[in-house]
Amino acid sequence: METIGIWIAALLTLGIFSFLYKDNPFYKFCESLFVGISAGYWFVTTFWQVFMPKLADNLVAGRLYYIIGGVFGVLMLLRLFPKIGWLSRWSLALVVGTTAGLYFTRYLVSNGMIQVQNTIIPLYVKGNLSQTIGNLVIVIGTFSGLIYFFFSKEHKGAFGGLAKLGIWFLMLSFGASFGYTVMSRMSLLIGRMDFLLGTWLGLIR
Amino acid sequence: MRYKNLNRLLILTFFFFFLILPLGQILAQEDTLPPAPPTEVRASDTQNDNGHSITITWKLSGDDGAGKKDVVAYEILRSESPAGEFVVRGMVPAGNNTYQDRGAKEKEDKNYFHPYHDFYYKVRAKTLNSYSESGVAGPAQAYGQWFHLGKLPVFVGTLAFTIMVLAFISLARKGKKFYVRPLAGIDAVDDAIGRATEMGRPILYILGLGSAADIATIASFTILNRIAKKTAEHKTKIIVPCNDPIVMSVAQETVKAGYLDAGRPDMYQEENIFYITSMQFAYVAAVNGIMLREKTATNFYLGKFYAESLILAETGSVAGSIQISGTDEIAQIPFFVAATDYTLIGEELYAASAYLGREPLLLGALKAQDLAKAIVMISLASGAVAASFHLDFFLRLFTVQM
Amino acid sequence: MRRQLPILIVFVSGVFMVIQYFIPHESFEFIYEYAMDWIIIIGIFAMLLGLWSLTRASVSKVQAKAPGWGFSVMTLVGLATMLFLGFYKGNKSIAEGTFFMDLFWYIYTPIQATMFSLLAFYIASAAYRSFRVRTVLATILLVTALIIMLRLIPLGPISGVNQWLASWILTVPNMAAKRAIWIGVGLGATATALKIIFGIERAYMGKD
Repeated sequence: METIGIWIAALLTLGIFSFLYKDNPFYKFCESLFVGISAGYWFVTTFWQVFMPKLADNLVAGRLYYIIGGVFGVLMLLRLFPKIGWLSRWSLALVVGTTAGLYFTRYLVSNGMIQVQNTIIPLYVKGNLSQTIGNLVIVIGTFSGLIYFFFSKEHKGAFGGLAKLGIWFLMLSFGASFGYTVMSRMSLLIGRMDFLLGTWLGLIR
Repeated sequence: MRYKNLNRLLILTFFFFFLILPLGQILAQEDTLPPAPPTEVRASDTQNDNGHSITITWKLSGDDGAGKKDVVAYEILRSESPAGEFVVRGMVPAGNNTYQDRGAKEKEDKNYFHPYHDFYYKVRAKTLNSYSESGVAGPAQAYGQWFHLGKLPVFVGTLAFTIMVLAFISLARKGKKFYVRPLAGIDAVDDAIGRATEMGRPILYILGLGSAADIATIASFTILNRIAKKTAEHKTKIIVPCNDPIVMSVAQETVKAGYLDAGRPDMYQEENIFYITSMQFAYVAAVNGIMLREKTATNFYLGKFYAESLILAETGSVAGSIQISGTDEIAQIPFFVAATDYTLIGEELYAASAYLGREPLLLGALKAQDLAKAIVMISLASGAVAASFHLDFFLRLFTVQM
Repeated sequence: MRRQLPILIVFVSGVFMVIQYFIPHESFEFIYEYAMDWIIIIGIFAMLLGLWSLTRASVSKVQAKAPGWGFSVMTLVGLATMLFLGFYKGNKSIAEGTFFMDLFWYIYTPIQATMFSLLAFYIASAAYRSFRVRTVLATILLVTALIIMLRLIPLGPISGVNQWLASWILTVPNMAAKRAIWIGVGLGATATALKIIFGIERAYMGKD
């Protein structure tokens, strides 16, 4: 099984790589197989690993409030029947309302208050020039970045200048993330090459 | 020679028995002497919790960090009566003077912690070979709180921001006109739809990998609604492949509503808004195929995106599509910036729905965001200046204790 | 009933979730946990909608003999195989060593890893394109990327200056920009959440 498996895996790997040249039947074959297998895999594993413990096991254990979840779940499926499909909005409303409330405080705290808290730093640190400069740059960068996101005023004059400084900071940060990611993406490619040349063809060890 | 050695041996033996051994014993005895016990032990309900924990505090043993310095840890013991059997509940290393005795809230859990029940505590200072116990503290009861005091700043923030949003929305209702500056990515939307119409090719709209509950996805639904309305007016096909079944259901409703708004419900085709798979890269493989085979003129990527962002954007770019992207996932913004024509960065994605619809109510909320932003910027600047003079008033305004 | 009740459900559940954040008491914790479980359960039921959509799209392509319909057959075969293998032996079907897991390891995993690794090519082509744009902003992006990259390559950092500059960029200006984005996203997301809870943003509900 393992040898056949490795051969299949290698051919599929080549099939996906062939997309870099252009779209072709080999890629289409891999793609459509991948879609079918992954959808099936996802359904089966979610069923056994989430549905059974979360709903079936809880109901068997007599935790009847889980019926409510089940009822809302069934309502969601009513979408398949156009006449009563509108009932699925109740389930949707529960999902959206609950998470909107959940995310409200989550974003307010972790994206808002904690970031502000971390940015309220002294602009002058006695006897430490590099930290003084660093703190100054952080406060100016955050401030001008926020100016860039200001929607009520056109980016003109001094305000526009600050917004421009803000976008420079943003670009610098994007460049940093970009550069930071390159190496990890290269190592993914090296991993695949290692599989093709090593595990499959045995050319490298 | 032999005698000399024997002498040495005798002297060594003498030393061993009469000097080293007793010294060792004295030292060892020293070690088995109990340390000074912890004092002032207090037990009380843990604040800001669900009611299944008691906090115990004490004054460090005189031999912890001072005196003989031989205390290594403290053990916390609990009993249901002052004279009853005490059992160990936990241990903390020397130098600590507080412990939270907590348990589960589920009655069937074997680690269940009884609320509203008297407990007594003792603290044991431990050395390597010995220990000493404090007096008994208690009784103490655990009970839950109805407000988390550490989250007071968040509560104030929540109230203030909600009032701001509602106030601006009510101003908008009364007919107040709000100005918002032009946004490049938004201005490009009309052109992009027009281009697809001219070329007679479809538009691709990707909602990302988020669930229907992600705020970014919901913001994207509103944008999809506006874009669907425009495509219906232009009679241009819109394709929406989805990664999540609920997202697909909502996208269908959203697009249908857009076609209704445009007065073209007859043109709505549900099969163009479909589900592929929930697995990230299988979804990407299929979307790549759709881009090339359907020759989409315009691709929108708006919502939550992860590593797949660059695969999608590069494929679309090579295929020559006009691409407009937007996400609040900071790690993916750089790739969208590099590979698509316009990118809505972070907050711009949330603003886009207000921009596209020009609905007064949504614009009102945008104004509230700006007001809040101004308050944040003022606090930031004044806070930093104040912090330079060691004043922490502003800092405390934003400090949340979890 | 069709529009008003869902808006009410959104309002009540949204307000409850905001309030429960401030209330540590166990009674709220319990309701919170149930609500989160219910949402997961709704999501699982919805999976059937997904499978239905995928199957219907593929079958209608095959029936219509649309271009590339043979590939839709492959999708259906893959899906049916996984569903059959995943259920025919009950919950033992997905144990390690079953044919179900073999398909996962030898088909799913290599394709997924290869798709992911395509990023190595795409990141290079994206960088090349930004390089050709030659605006101030693109230049800032590329130069910074280069500085960080030289720090991280196996041979790097190429000098002490490089090392110092890279770590300064990451911890100072990069951090400043990220905080600006985070705060902006925070305000945008909270405002959107409020609009949802108060029923002002309701495009996602559709219309009748």
